[in-house]
Amino acid sequence: MGFFVFKERILKRVLVFIAVFLLVFIFSGKAAYAMHITEGILPSEWAITWFAVSVPFLAIGIYKVKRKKREVHSYLPLVGMLGAAVFVFSCFPIPVVALNGMATSHPCGTGMSAILLGPFVSVLIAGIALLIQALFLAHGGLTTLGGNIFSMGILGSFSGFFAFRIAQRCRMSLFWCGFFAGVISDLFTYLGTSIELGLLVIKNGGSFFKATAEIFGVFMMTSQGVLCIVEGVIVGFIMVFVYKRRPDILLLLGIKKNAKPV
Amino acid sequence: MGFLHHTFTDRYTQRNNWLTRIDVRVKLIYLLSMLIANLWAKNAYVSLSFLFISFVFLLTINIFPLVMIKNMVLPLLFAFMMLVVKGLHEGENEWISFSVAGYIVALKKEGILGGLQIGGKILGGVSLVILFSLTTTMSQLNAGLKWLRMPNTVLELMSFMYRYIFQLLNEVSAIWYAQRARLGHASWRKAIKSFGVLGGMLIIRAVERAERTSEAMYARGYKGGCILTCHLKPLERNEYICFSGMALFFPFLLYAGNIKIW
Repeated sequence: MGFFVFKERILKRVLVFIAVFLLVFIFSGKAAYAMHITEGILPSEWAITWFAVSVPFLAIGIYKVKRKKREVHSYLPLVGMLGAAVFVFSCFPIPVVALNGMATSHPCGTGMSAILLGPFVSVLIAGIALLIQALFLAHGGLTTLGGNIFSMGILGSFSGFFAFRIAQRCRMSLFWCGFFAGVISDLFTYLGTSIELGLLVIKNGGSFFKATAEIFGVFMMTSQGVLCIVEGVIVGFIMVFVYKRRPDILLLLGIKKNAKPV
Repeated sequence: MGFLHHTFTDRYTQRNNWLTRIDVRVKLIYLLSMLIANLWAKNAYVSLSFLFISFVFLLTINIFPLVMIKNMVLPLLFAFMMLVVKGLHEGENEWISFSVAGYIVALKKEGILGGLQIGGKILGGVSLVILFSLTTTMSQLNAGLKWLRMPNTVLELMSFMYRYIFQLLNEVSAIWYAQRARLGHASWRKAIKSFGVLGGMLIIRAVERAERTSEAMYARGYKGGCILTCHLKPLERNEYICFSGMALFFPFLLYAGNIKIW
């Protein structure tokens, strides 16, 4: 009994230490990355499940790139370069409004890559970006790669792509098309991450919906809610800027069919 | 924007030490086996031993452990979130409870213990990945992944992205500093618009660079085939001994991970 009380006391101290450490971290002006599930969090059954879900999308992406690069020789450098550009875009340090700019967050970029390259190739690019981040930035993980590809790659790319296309069908301006793609892809990415984390409490009798809602709520209330809108605005500005300076790029990528004024 | 240059862990990979000299296939097999053992573990012994081993190995190649600790800050943030989520949703025995704006926060003992175990897994898993990335170059990684039958298209795209991330990052950094010097980030509105211009320039430069690169590739005889040349020497006796060692050690890791602590 005495040992258990002692262990409890140690646990409480550990918790207080972690809380203080994290507060110091949050207010130290570092970048806040929250959408990638880190190594070791997903248990084996979920890690395998998310890999199994992601593999078909990746396979279709690989097939599309392989087929296209044989037809158009400049396709591989184009995809690689735009992939690098989206990776760099996803490193933009956006100040977090909720913390009065004391910490920064970063955009996902999958909405933009889905607009530029199409959803399946975007899933592949997201997968490669996540692998590079997991290995060289300790951001995400190898066993959680499937889960991260599902939330960021699949949900982010497809939702962003369809949001862009629907906005185009509704004859919205290019800015609003980009805006909705950015916002919706971000929202779905965080929703995906929340679902993946929420599913972890089912095994031990927890409420999946409550946990998912709470995690999603925390994401939205801290940095990511505003970030969704900010990313949407930035993607909108990017589309308009590229269209004004180099409309041929959007024509080349099949984003615009004709060069009308913005 | 300079933060990414300093965060990439591959800047230590060009050093000549006993870990960089190990064949990448051996390192990959060890990494994957240990990550699986970490994932399957039902206690924190195995994970924490991985963390300890990683720190010791880093010390042997004269890399200060602070490099690893810096990279672990973000995973720790996630670990804390999991601790709170599990504490709130798992278990019966209430440990700490308090009210925040009418919302009763009740942390349960079982959930907290489960959360701490996940924390150990995160630390163990991330430390292994960091150790690998600190001692393996991208070209070695490509060769290893090719040996693991990763499709060529993925490796080509990964090489392209990795090759140009730093160049694009340099260009974007220059534009970003120029914008800041001219008060382009003085207010929130200006900052968002500046980020839009920055992202637009990034896309335009990526496409222009892709055009130039594809011309250069075409001039060198590229016809849409494979562009990678990964040289893998035949496996030697030392590598076979290492593989056998892991084959013998792996069941022990799985067994040690299943010893119950709490």
